[in-house]
Amino acid sequence: MLPTRSRLSVLVFLLPPLVVYGAAVLFPILQSLVLSFFSWNGIGDMEFVGLANYVHMLTHDDVFWRSFLNSLGYLAICLVLQLGGALLVASLLLSLRRGRELVKTLYLLPAVISTVAIAFLFERIYSLDPVGLLNQVLSWLGLGALERPWLSDVNTVLAAVSAPEGWRFTGLYMLIIYAALLAVPRELEEAAILDGASRWQLFTKIRFPYIRPVWITTTIMATTYGLRGFDIPYLMTNGGPGQSSELVTTYMYKTAFTSTDYGYASTISVFIVAECLIAVGLIVMLLRRKGEA
Amino acid sequence: MKRMLKTAAVAAVAAIALAGCGSSPSSSPTNVSPTGQIVPRQISWLLSRPADGSVITIMKKLADDYAKDHPGFSLNLITTPDRPSYIQKYETLAAADKLPELFDTDATPFAQQLAKQGKMMDAGKLLKDLGLYDSFRPAALDYQRFDDGSLYMVPMQFELEFFWYNKSLFQKAGVSVPASLDDLPAACTALRKAGITPIALDGQDQWPLERYVSYQPFRAAGPDYVTSLKKAQAKFSDAPGQKAVTWLDALGKAKCFSDGFSSQGYSDAQNAFTSGQAAMYNIGTWELSSLATDKLNPSVRNDIDFFTLPTTAGSVTKANEFVSPSGIGMAVNSKTYDPLVADFLKFALPKYAAQYAATGALAPTTNVQTTIPANATPLYKKALDKATDLGTKQIMPWDTQLDPTSNTRLQQELTLLVQGNTSPADFTSTMDSTIAQNAPKFFK
Repeated sequence: MLPTRSRLSVLVFLLPPLVVYGAAVLFPILQSLVLSFFSWNGIGDMEFVGLANYVHMLTHDDVFWRSFLNSLGYLAICLVLQLGGALLVASLLLSLRRGRELVKTLYLLPAVISTVAIAFLFERIYSLDPVGLLNQVLSWLGLGALERPWLSDVNTVLAAVSAPEGWRFTGLYMLIIYAALLAVPRELEEAAILDGASRWQLFTKIRFPYIRPVWITTTIMATTYGLRGFDIPYLMTNGGPGQSSELVTTYMYKTAFTSTDYGYASTISVFIVAECLIAVGLIVMLLRRKGEA
Repeated sequence: MKRMLKTAAVAAVAAIALAGCGSSPSSSPTNVSPTGQIVPRQISWLLSRPADGSVITIMKKLADDYAKDHPGFSLNLITTPDRPSYIQKYETLAAADKLPELFDTDATPFAQQLAKQGKMMDAGKLLKDLGLYDSFRPAALDYQRFDDGSLYMVPMQFELEFFWYNKSLFQKAGVSVPASLDDLPAACTALRKAGITPIALDGQDQWPLERYVSYQPFRAAGPDYVTSLKKAQAKFSDAPGQKAVTWLDALGKAKCFSDGFSSQGYSDAQNAFTSGQAAMYNIGTWELSSLATDKLNPSVRNDIDFFTLPTTAGSVTKANEFVSPSGIGMAVNSKTYDPLVADFLKFALPKYAAQYAATGALAPTTNVQTTIPANATPLYKKALDKATDLGTKQIMPWDTQLDPTSNTRLQQELTLLVQGNTSPADFTSTMDSTIAQNAPKFFK
């Protein structure tokens, strides 16, 4: 228990960041919540519609549900690339004797390139006419039958817009996981090896359980970023063709700034907040339960 | 905790209420000649035009000339050439009641709401007061009008949209200029057989494909169809709508558009045509300097020609009636309209058209002659001459007509229809239900 004076000092120091957090995060969320009960186009009168926006979103809006399913697909691809890729590269890095810094820098590079440049780069990579890198490589490999306009094909576009996002942050998560793996005590590993543990057992029984707290944090970060993914799909396809790469976030943006339906857009944004909170809750619950088992 | 929540909720409601309350305009939209002293200051124009284009260059020069006699005056031009980004910016500023003195807008349902709220000056009155109204091309003014005939935007340009085509590629495929819109799918099939991309299309920007949905209904039923459709008083399932849907489906099946068109941009489409890969390109006279001057690739320069929108059997509109837009218009904010803004417009607008025509572009008025550039090909004059022989009706681009939600859905569904990812029946029912649901919010 801190003495009264110290508690006061803590409160004084905590207050400014709390005020900033409240103004920048909580207030807009609250504002969206209030707006979600209204119909408002920005220039006319606000009309209170109660839960009508929520009822419409959940029961009548086919674009919303399509966007939601797309978001889940987008999230799955991003997570596989970011976490799976990061774990793989970080594990391989440990066995590298030379050039670790170079590999780390190369993997981290996409995270510092501007989103617009990445979107433009991948647009060209996926292009069919003029022929882009991906189709060119397929042609060289004798897989010409697979050549296609990746961003115009409704069957490939979602994966095509998810891959750059996954690729972009693999390096960042790789660094975090690599740092965690470095902290695994050598003596634990050596003891396991002496006991005859295989490489796989070493990873599953020693390393992974040791880095679990970092893994939970990384998964939460990657999931929430994935659920909020917006810029690359918006820049590359604007959600198209049709709604094939529409995410809940791009749909919300269009609803607000193209359709000028601020009330309904707020309803979707409330859904995004709830979705992120539920996802984080589920991840923490699942990983903790596994850890205790 | 409860008290904190209560306070936050009250604050949120208050902020929203404040944001929702648009302040009333300080000047009447019809009071085009405000009295009072002219006090020079900086005024702004939020616009969506190319930064190095003629409109901006000329208005900058005119503003500099005006500032010589009015020290302290300046015109701040804030341009966002990318139209979707511009619209978002302009609508957000409108929602915050922070639009500047001058701003660009099409005659959209959103703009009509602004006009109804008295937030824009009556452009018809303004132009009449300046003695300029009668010098404008009727088509240029009509393009800026709302459905009720009211005029709140000043046209700054005038364009004609043609189908540009490559004679050599047509010859190679044994194709002649389509006499009817219904001949286009067959022409595409023949061109594809000859290994040629029939039509170069910028699918990324959506509006170029949306032009195609307007063609058949305009020929079959005239301009009134879209006016009724946007209010859900007509349907896609009606005969003119079905003609458009089946025709677009046929264009898709004939592979009329470049492969992967939905991810191709403006310059991709233009390059495909000017490099001789694509046989047709539907674009307006704003591209004359690229298509009808010596800037055009020499290997195709002598092969390029154009035809206007073909008619159809039983067409109710004439061959000389097609898309002839006067571009995004300039609106004058009534809230900030004062003797200075009035005086600057009085100074600049009468001088504008002559300077604009001198750049080789079609002016929105008829009292000036367009200067044909020295490096122009004969096609340049041929294109300009079409402006003297226009009918009384014109196609209004549907992206300026439909409510924004229906328009977004139409653009999405059109791509799917032409790509063969949705059937004409599904397209029709989706669009009819979307318009029925969203139109009433904008056209009460």
